[in-house]
Amino acid sequence: MTQVPFARGDQQLDAPVHFALIHYGEEELRAGVLNFLEPALNDPRQGIYLCGPEGEASRFLDNLALSAGRDVRADVAERRIILGHGDRDADQQLQNLLDPLRELCDRGFSPVRVVGPAAWGVIGYAAPEDFLWYESRVLPGIEDLQAVAVMCTYDAARLPARAIVYGALETHTHTIIDGVLSASPSFMSADRYLKTRLIHLPWLEPGEERPVTETSEDHPGRVPRSRTR
Amino acid sequence: MCAEIAPPRNLRVVPFIWRRAHTSAVAGGEIGHAALDLQRGAIAVLDPDGNVTWADDAWAADDGESGLARVGIRGNLLQAYRAQDDPIARAVANAIVAIFEGRATYFEIEHRPSPESPRSILTSIAALRGNGAGAGAAVIHRVVTPRPQDVRTHSGEPIGDGMGRLTPREREVLEFMAAGLDNRAISARLRIQYSTVRGHVRAVIEKLGARSRLEAVARAYQRGLVVP
Repeated sequence: MTQVPFARGDQQLDAPVHFALIHYGEEELRAGVLNFLEPALNDPRQGIYLCGPEGEASRFLDNLALSAGRDVRADVAERRIILGHGDRDADQQLQNLLDPLRELCDRGFSPVRVVGPAAWGVIGYAAPEDFLWYESRVLPGIEDLQAVAVMCTYDAARLPARAIVYGALETHTHTIIDGVLSASPSFMSADRYLKTRLIHLPWLEPGEERPVTETSEDHPGRVPRSRTR
Repeated sequence: MCAEIAPPRNLRVVPFIWRRAHTSAVAGGEIGHAALDLQRGAIAVLDPDGNVTWADDAWAADDGESGLARVGIRGNLLQAYRAQDDPIARAVANAIVAIFEGRATYFEIEHRPSPESPRSILTSIAALRGNGAGAGAAVIHRVVTPRPQDVRTHSGEPIGDGMGRLTPREREVLEFMAAGLDNRAISARLRIQYSTVRGHVRAVIEKLGARSRLEAVARAYQRGLVVP
């Protein structure tokens, strides 16, 4: 078991771990991700894997490196930092995640920190139910990778409630909400999640409508809702 | 109402598949996903009178406004396309007729966005309706012949039973899918190539008329054919 500390505060997690950052908008996303990744940006013994839409992981890393005041191009070239991407096939997306993690672990990086955004109903990515299946399979997939910590980011300003409840809360052992790390009481093991949640998803019931795939470009006027508490 | 058209009563959903191309390196993925998603998504529906109409709520936004209404497409689709003096619109109309007559199950439209135009499918629809000027061109890519699981009764039940078309190996794969295993684990259990498993999974999804891995499992579970 490997301890994975954050940059600020005394919070840390025991790897392997799969946890969710539930954030409101981009600013909170950057702060939360930087808090998680900064120790690895500054430590050549640690590995990083970033995934997301094509090109986004690279742009995101550039912003993070800028915030951290580091040039990470050499780390990317040496594959200490690996940039990946999702896939419309949830199983392929899972392999896209696990293969580089095994590579980083095999090469001795520890811990290996992973960040990927929740892609819910986005064209080019898995259907929501398959995305949930993917999320439920991450922890079993990294069980034998003792140094891996996977952070999935969920934008509560944009995602529907069921993405947060079924995805962030039920498939991750821990959540970070408002900067506070805590165990998720709603978490279910992959097996239980499959039997009690996945095959009973409301939109998969006969006669029910499924979530419609969309992209933000289909709603050019839509902006994240203001944060109200 | 299009009096000259006699739509078969066993068709309920008239799906359209919008293809995006030349947008980026991931276009292939987008195409595939959009196709699966829209294939059964009732983007256009055949109403009880035989009219093809857009499903107004199919792209509803958070604010309740209909995406399709926003781009101004309502009413009888066939009439709308026939009214246009445009080869693309005529091709769409012909494809709709082919669906009516049972010669096709769905058709695909390839969207070729121009660099300055938004990549939105809705924009593509608007461009198509407005004879393609100003935005990316769209062309009929192919018309797909009927498959049994795409033909539905008025109550929405599939006429063909996809389960009956699964091979013994595909049934085996489905059982492992229902147990939550990923393809690599299934490959190890069955001692077959990973790529072979992927092929079986795709076949299972297609034969069950599902859009996704989980939907295939859920359908099999709902019919009592697998126990997760």
